[in-house]
Amino acid sequence: MKISRRDFIKVSSLGAVATSLGTLAKQSFTQVVPGERDLPYTQQWVSTICLMCPGGCGVLVRTINGRAVKIDGNPLHPVNTGKVCPKANAALQVLYDPDRLTGPMVQKGERGSDGWETISWDEAIQLVAERLADIRVNPGPQAMAFMSGRVRGQMGGLIDRFLAAYGSPNHIRHDSLSIDGERIGNELTIGHREQLAYDWDNCNYVLSFGRAFLEASRPTVRQIRGFSAMRRDRPNRRAKFVQIDTRFSITAAKADEWVPIRTGTDGALALGIAHILIAEQLYDRRFVSEHTHGFEDWTDENGVAHEGFRSMVLREYHPVQVESITGVSADTIIRLAREFANAQPGVACGGRGAVMQTNGVFNWMAIQALNALVGSIEVPGGALVQNRPPYTPWPDLPADTVADAGLAMARFDGAGTREYPLAHSVYQDLPERMLAGEPYPLGALFIYYTNPLFSSPDVNRFYEAIQKVPFVVSFSPFLDDSSAYADLILPDHSFLERLQDDEIEPSLGYAVLGLRQPVVAPLFDTRDTGDVLIQIARAMGGSMEAAFPWSDFSQVIQNRLSGLWAFESGSIRATEFSHFWEELISQSVWSDPPYAFGQWGRVFNTPSGKFEFFSQKLFAQLDKLRGEQAWGEWLAELGIDASGDMAFMPHYEPPRYIGRESEYPFFLNTYKLMTHAEGRGANTPWLQEKLGMHVKKSWDAWVEINPEVAERLGIEDDDWVWIESPIGKIKLRAVLYPGARPDTLNIPFEQGHKHYGRWAKERGENPNWVVASESDQLSGIAAWFSTRVKIYKA
Amino acid sequence: MPHWGMVIDLDRCVACQACSAACRAENNVSFAGPEETALGRAIYWQEVLAEVDGEYPNVRGTFIPRPCMHCENPPCVRVCPVGATYQNEEGLVLQRYERCIGCRYCMVACPYAVRYFNWRAPEWAEGMERYQNPDVPIRPKGVVEKCTFCTHRLPVPACNQACPGNARFFGDLEDPDSVVSQLARSPRAFRLLEDLGTEPKVYYLREGA
Amino acid sequence: MNKDDKEAVLFKPVEKTGRGFYLVVAGLVLILAWAAYAYSRQIVDGLDVTGLNRPVYWGLYITNFVFFIGISHAGTLVSAILRVFGAEWRRPITRAAEAITVFALVLGTGNIMIDMGRPDRLLNIIRYGRFQSPLVWDVTSLTVYLTASLTYLYLPLIPDLAILRDRPGLSPWRRWLYTKLSIGWQGTEEQKHRLERLIGIMAVLIIPIAVSVHTVVSWVFAMTVQPMWHSTIFGPYFVIGAIFSGIATLIIVMVILRRAFNLYAYITDQHFSNLGLLLMIFAFLWAYFTFSEYLTEFYGNEPAGMRVLFAKLVEEFSLMFWAMWLFNFILPFILLSNRRTRTVTGTVVTSILVNVGMWLERYNIVVPTLTRPRLPSPITSYTPTWVEWSVLVGSFAVFAMLYVLFSKLFPIVSIWEVREGEEIAAGGVVAGHHAEAGAD
Repeated sequence: MKISRRDFIKVSSLGAVATSLGTLAKQSFTQVVPGERDLPYTQQWVSTICLMCPGGCGVLVRTINGRAVKIDGNPLHPVNTGKVCPKANAALQVLYDPDRLTGPMVQKGERGSDGWETISWDEAIQLVAERLADIRVNPGPQAMAFMSGRVRGQMGGLIDRFLAAYGSPNHIRHDSLSIDGERIGNELTIGHREQLAYDWDNCNYVLSFGRAFLEASRPTVRQIRGFSAMRRDRPNRRAKFVQIDTRFSITAAKADEWVPIRTGTDGALALGIAHILIAEQLYDRRFVSEHTHGFEDWTDENGVAHEGFRSMVLREYHPVQVESITGVSADTIIRLAREFANAQPGVACGGRGAVMQTNGVFNWMAIQALNALVGSIEVPGGALVQNRPPYTPWPDLPADTVADAGLAMARFDGAGTREYPLAHSVYQDLPERMLAGEPYPLGALFIYYTNPLFSSPDVNRFYEAIQKVPFVVSFSPFLDDSSAYADLILPDHSFLERLQDDEIEPSLGYAVLGLRQPVVAPLFDTRDTGDVLIQIARAMGGSMEAAFPWSDFSQVIQNRLSGLWAFESGSIRATEFSHFWEELISQSVWSDPPYAFGQWGRVFNTPSGKFEFFSQKLFAQLDKLRGEQAWGEWLAELGIDASGDMAFMPHYEPPRYIGRESEYPFFLNTYKLMTHAEGRGANTPWLQEKLGMHVKKSWDAWVEINPEVAERLGIEDDDWVWIESPIGKIKLRAVLYPGARPDTLNIPFEQGHKHYGRWAKERGENPNWVVASESDQLSGIAAWFSTRVKIYKA
Repeated sequence: MPHWGMVIDLDRCVACQACSAACRAENNVSFAGPEETALGRAIYWQEVLAEVDGEYPNVRGTFIPRPCMHCENPPCVRVCPVGATYQNEEGLVLQRYERCIGCRYCMVACPYAVRYFNWRAPEWAEGMERYQNPDVPIRPKGVVEKCTFCTHRLPVPACNQACPGNARFFGDLEDPDSVVSQLARSPRAFRLLEDLGTEPKVYYLREGA
Repeated sequence: MNKDDKEAVLFKPVEKTGRGFYLVVAGLVLILAWAAYAYSRQIVDGLDVTGLNRPVYWGLYITNFVFFIGISHAGTLVSAILRVFGAEWRRPITRAAEAITVFALVLGTGNIMIDMGRPDRLLNIIRYGRFQSPLVWDVTSLTVYLTASLTYLYLPLIPDLAILRDRPGLSPWRRWLYTKLSIGWQGTEEQKHRLERLIGIMAVLIIPIAVSVHTVVSWVFAMTVQPMWHSTIFGPYFVIGAIFSGIATLIIVMVILRRAFNLYAYITDQHFSNLGLLLMIFAFLWAYFTFSEYLTEFYGNEPAGMRVLFAKLVEEFSLMFWAMWLFNFILPFILLSNRRTRTVTGTVVTSILVNVGMWLERYNIVVPTLTRPRLPSPITSYTPTWVEWSVLVGSFAVFAMLYVLFSKLFPIVSIWEVREGEEIAAGGVVAGHHAEAGAD
């Protein structure tokens, strides 16, 4: 792909930024190895957006004679303000990974074998276009499914458009493996299917329920900055940070207090705290009365009486009851509640630990209920709703009957149906459906920025299932676990070679958009997937071609971002779009501070226009799908224990587990490290070499076990052990870790790739081989923590 | 002439290791690989020391980022037979790679174990030599190396620049008004192994209120 | 038996070469070739081929270095001290002892050079040497000691070289060698007088030099601040240990020489008895110093030191530690205090045990401290590799080889000194000599 000269940064504007970072005084330093180092070199600092994780940090990449040598933070980007995490510099090793794919590859041998041959882009695109055209005719466009994972900027919309124009309802995003629980919980309570932003800098108290605040919850650099600010940036005011976590993580270590909680019971703890807030009149009465719905008993428009949140909590969640559920003492619950209320503004937040459970959505709602009770929503120091950049809308799609017919078919993954009423994607359910050919067999599978044969629970099933799909295409720049089983690989650029916009994850509250641009010319014959999708559409002709009236993806981005220019507000303003675009390329970020607090109408996008303790949206959605079935039966079918009004309010659902306690005595906690890059970092030696600093482990995987429990089982430090679940077993080194609960084993997620380059391959174990695929029926989220295991010496 | 010193606020540090990673990228410290790392040969000019101890549920984690201390009274300089290790006028303890005979006496003498040896010639996998920084020499086999406070890019060492917690400070200890001097006088300030008399120039600020 | 017949054994190794010689040399050459190969791997790949790591930066090579410098004190003790105190029984064994010194010094410095990361930069020590570094003290005092020892080996060799020069039936190159090296010695009164003076001066000088050598070697460790190294007792401790292992080595070398060259008339049971007594005295001295070290550390209770102490006493180094005690003190005490076991064989067995024990002692000093750094470290162990063991075995082979070649070229028993001693014993007065203590 040709990069136009405009797309390259001019040294002058960024040079000023770069030199302000510190003089690059080159002292006369004895050179041991002569050569290039003695010659004058051409240096540029190119700004772009990192993608080792979706934190979206702005970075400045130093290039010497056209090669990238260092990655520093971009001081202009408000998420990270010039700072980076350890993963940033490992991006150099992603770019220069010796095992990267050099161009399109087609599998000539058996799936998964070494029979790869190179193929030209033209041939490859033609191949895909033809195949897709065939499928569209027979059996129909719905038979094409597109799995996407780390989608940034306009790529999501582009893929949606591609599928909509084609006629497939099956854009399967990976969010059911990840953050959907939070989003759905927010949709039910405040009407926004998004994560929340937080005003950490003004916060005085953080109740973190299983949020890997300092390690993996995004954007991590922003949170680390916020943590540091909360500790020491305000004279005489040091925030208290409480980490409620099933494991002593780094966040727990740096927190003021670690509350070791039994896995899956965060909702109960939150409600126990809520109980005290209510019982002791510690809640913000004004906020609750003005901005919440369903706190007191109420009657709906049909005259039906409903119990309020207040009376339900007071009845059901006394700290003594909560203590027996969570293992957290009643005294602690009472104390936390009082501290939380008295240290406002304070925030209750949660993360994967609380949410990726069979009761995850309700856990999240319970956590948000705390914010509602203390009035910590849409105020300084509290939870905020992220503003989004004002994109120019996508143009309408051309009408097409084939597409319409396809889109009318049921989604392949059952999202939004009676099976998973609230889900938009149910990624982890694909294998069973692919194997059964239900609701219909798939004809083609596209895999973009996701690695189902690594990241799925019960990953073995995916290995079986993928064989059922006749045509698999991957866009991965690497021969990873999934692309190794593809028929065709159309490698994307690595993110340092790519032009792509990057809207930040909800965090700062005000709209921020980053722009990723190539820092070096592409090393290989790779192509931006955005361009490739447009080219495939073009090659297909007809309505597909008509749906993509842009020459390339860069045009798409510019078109969509023209809305930001037209907005005439924010950090970049220009009379001409071309100047706006140049400035955006130069700075790599556009933002529109400050966050305007108190926009109640925008923030509470619910039927009542308020925070809903009783989720009317949930009620309506379930009612719609209920048909004639009795509520009790319907709720039971969804795996919901609660009945009556309670089922639509934040409440505690006992989590479901795979495996009987008598046989599998331990909970399995798979956790994320700061040095892990969503499984993508395993091919970077720098991250591998410092992977498990807290247990002095590197280049390996391990399982953390409580030392007393280990002693009882005769397991010593560094012993080989088997971790076995009802679906499989893996062998790992044991680490005796005092921060492990006696009832829980902890395995970090990152290792155990079967492919993905020389440093990732066959290293350690992937816990997904023992994690069963269990979902929350209501929301379709993968319950990562539902698998019970046993451990024994190998 | 400034006399450089560093302050690391452990209440802001979150043990993310951004410092260690940035240092390696800046200073051409290649990776050792799995076998060599298991043999104890990996080089980290800046390393985060970690101890998690206690008994469940009373567990404590201590994480201390550890660059070279650039001691005012460096035991390493005292024992180097050839003056390959020396202290410059700005107080930095540096290494003359071309003079080092690899006897490793300085490594043995350093109580902080901040010194590293090139047990073999550093390797860059094919193509990875492209991200080498031309401002920093590549060290050959058989010589000692360690943190230089990024003498080639003062006054902001790479570790300090990266730190997302804004936990690291650097400056002139001889200027009583500099940030590092003020922080070094803080009641929270301490240094590692202070009673050995090495006079390290890296100060830490205690965690907690 | 007349004198010529008796002395014939002294000349035989120099003048006649039997099959045994070739076999031994061939065996040693094989070992040396293997060791050279092992070291060549280190030249090519770097010290990576060893088991050294961070934090155990020093291991077998440094242990060997200290060990060999230690046994080099054999020469000093016997030659110089006994000469100064006029112990006549030293005469047949002085040269053997002095040879041990020189060759052990070669191996000691050799092991240091093998340990260096950049042996190609050895001359930097001369070009840039900094006198505040204990390693430079080391280099200085070792150089002085080696020079002095070579001198001290050579000077008393001159009369023997003259004797050899004048022997019939010499091959031309030997005659040339002996002529050159004997620098015109004719045995005149004046020459003898001058030689005795020089030897006498050297004998006195070399004692403090030798003491300084191993003191300085110990100071390489003691001048750091590392736990269980930073000890004021190290200087004298190492010197005592050196003399201890030196005596043991001398006993072993003597019994081999006596056997190989049929020197029973010269190296008598009395020699072994005397040296055995010295060995036991030094075993006690060694035990006294070692016990002081460990008791002091234990009572100090300082955490870093205690970690190292317990590593040695009860953790992974305990086997080596207690073996060291067994070999250096307990077994020698048992064997040497009991009349029935205080035989030549018993003494030799004890000496072998002591040498093993002293090697273990050096290892026990160098390695455990390094495995217990003050700040947390992921690695806390050290396993030497085949390269390091090969170098150790090769070092002994070099030592043996040098010895074999030396005794092929020069008489291992000092012929003229033995003759002199016999004359003194017979009551005769040799002009220019005094038959009492304090001479020569």
